[in-house]
Amino acid sequence: MLKVQEIRELIKLIDQSSIDEFTYESNGTSVTMKKGQDPIAVQPKEPSTQPIVKEVETDKQKEKQAPVPQDETETQEDSTPVAKDAAGDQEIVSPMVGTFYAASSPESDPYVKVGSRVENDTIVCIVEAMKLFNEIEAEVTGEIVEVLVQDGELVEYGQPLFRVKTK
Amino acid sequence: MESTRNKLIQILANNDSTYISGQQLSKELAISRSAVWKHMKELEKDGYTIEGVSNKGYRIIAYPEKLSSNTIKWGLNTNWLGKTIYHKESIPSTQILAKQLASDDTEHGTVIIADEQTMGKGRLNRTWHSTNGKGIWMSLVLRPRLLPHLAPQLTLLTATVLCDVLAKVTPLNPAIKWPNDIFINHKKVAGILTEMQAEQDQIQYVVIGIGINVNHTEQDIPKDLKGKATSLRLESDRDWDIRDMIQNILLTFESAYQVYLDQGFPVVKEKWENYGYKLGESVWINTMKDRWYGSILGIAEDGALLAEKEGEQIKLYSAEIEW
Repeated sequence: MLKVQEIRELIKLIDQSSIDEFTYESNGTSVTMKKGQDPIAVQPKEPSTQPIVKEVETDKQKEKQAPVPQDETETQEDSTPVAKDAAGDQEIVSPMVGTFYAASSPESDPYVKVGSRVENDTIVCIVEAMKLFNEIEAEVTGEIVEVLVQDGELVEYGQPLFRVKTK
Repeated sequence: MESTRNKLIQILANNDSTYISGQQLSKELAISRSAVWKHMKELEKDGYTIEGVSNKGYRIIAYPEKLSSNTIKWGLNTNWLGKTIYHKESIPSTQILAKQLASDDTEHGTVIIADEQTMGKGRLNRTWHSTNGKGIWMSLVLRPRLLPHLAPQLTLLTATVLCDVLAKVTPLNPAIKWPNDIFINHKKVAGILTEMQAEQDQIQYVVIGIGINVNHTEQDIPKDLKGKATSLRLESDRDWDIRDMIQNILLTFESAYQVYLDQGFPVVKEKWENYGYKLGESVWINTMKDRWYGSILGIAEDGALLAEKEGEQIKLYSAEIEW
């Protein structure tokens, strides 16, 4: 099974390439991606996992929303941990499996909220596994436009945590 | 200066049954006899008792009980862990200083030790009681070339190191409550808290905080923790040498860390499961969203807790276990 991260990487690569259709099959799971006028399809044969559905939604959003001027998208800095989605926003993703904490303690205010400005080194949340607390830095400059997970939720490796509008 | 003093301590310590003349010392250290004498005075300030007999020479009679970066370094046979040591008598938290130093590029293997923490950090900013001079409160700064998602394994590794040291040095039988609390006779004696700064594919630093209750008496255990927390002294009826234990931990950690880098997690897993507390027994398991009674089976290949829930085996990365 492909990881969310890998699927995202594939979408990015295929998007930039001249490939119109791509199918990947392994252990009874297949992922098909099509570009162009055809409706976009990402259909695993197994019950689809959440992240894949998300990709589909993201691509639909792209169609609905006003297209982002091409040159602006391309000048954006593309750092590894931050996946760029179709709307030109970037996502801060989790580097490991663990529990998502929005604040340093249950009594504290969350590190960031929708509307918070973040710099590269702004701590946006903590992901904890086995009592290792990983302070996640934004690694991108912009404004938080969406918090994609809830406090205390289990997050997967590569799972998007925040959507950031970059300037 | 400091390295001359360390050499001086080494020489004296290696010959603690005989006297070494000032002349021999000045020759071995390539410093004047009056410089040797000055170093002796400094050592006495550090808490060493040195006997000087005319026509015979010098001899160490007693080592300082007081910790200093010097006394911790003396006799510490590690290659890289603890080459830089910061010792503070009182500090809010060794974790906070360690993280500051780590962001300021302090070297891999830097160790921060305090006699007392006024704001010791526990999980999720809970406080950790760190009584003055009675325990080991220290943080290790590491810069491992590991993928960030493997770093939680270092906290399990640290737990096995503490157990190895306690099992070797004391007559006690330590056990690990998942993931990394150390229990003796069903009470908590030590805790580990790890903090990390990492990018997606690279670790900037990992700071491993270790707290061990060593020479606490009944009165030193806070009221609300009675019956839950203990100390090595309470369980073994004797005091333990804190400096010696710190050195043992650093030495054991360094070699276990190397084995982990060379051979991966299986060695740690096997050790961990040998020390695992209440494995196979049923306990209350709490996650952020759920609470159930199920047995704990062991740990997975990546260190996650394997537990049973309604007849099924599940993997847990964050949970609180009650007993």
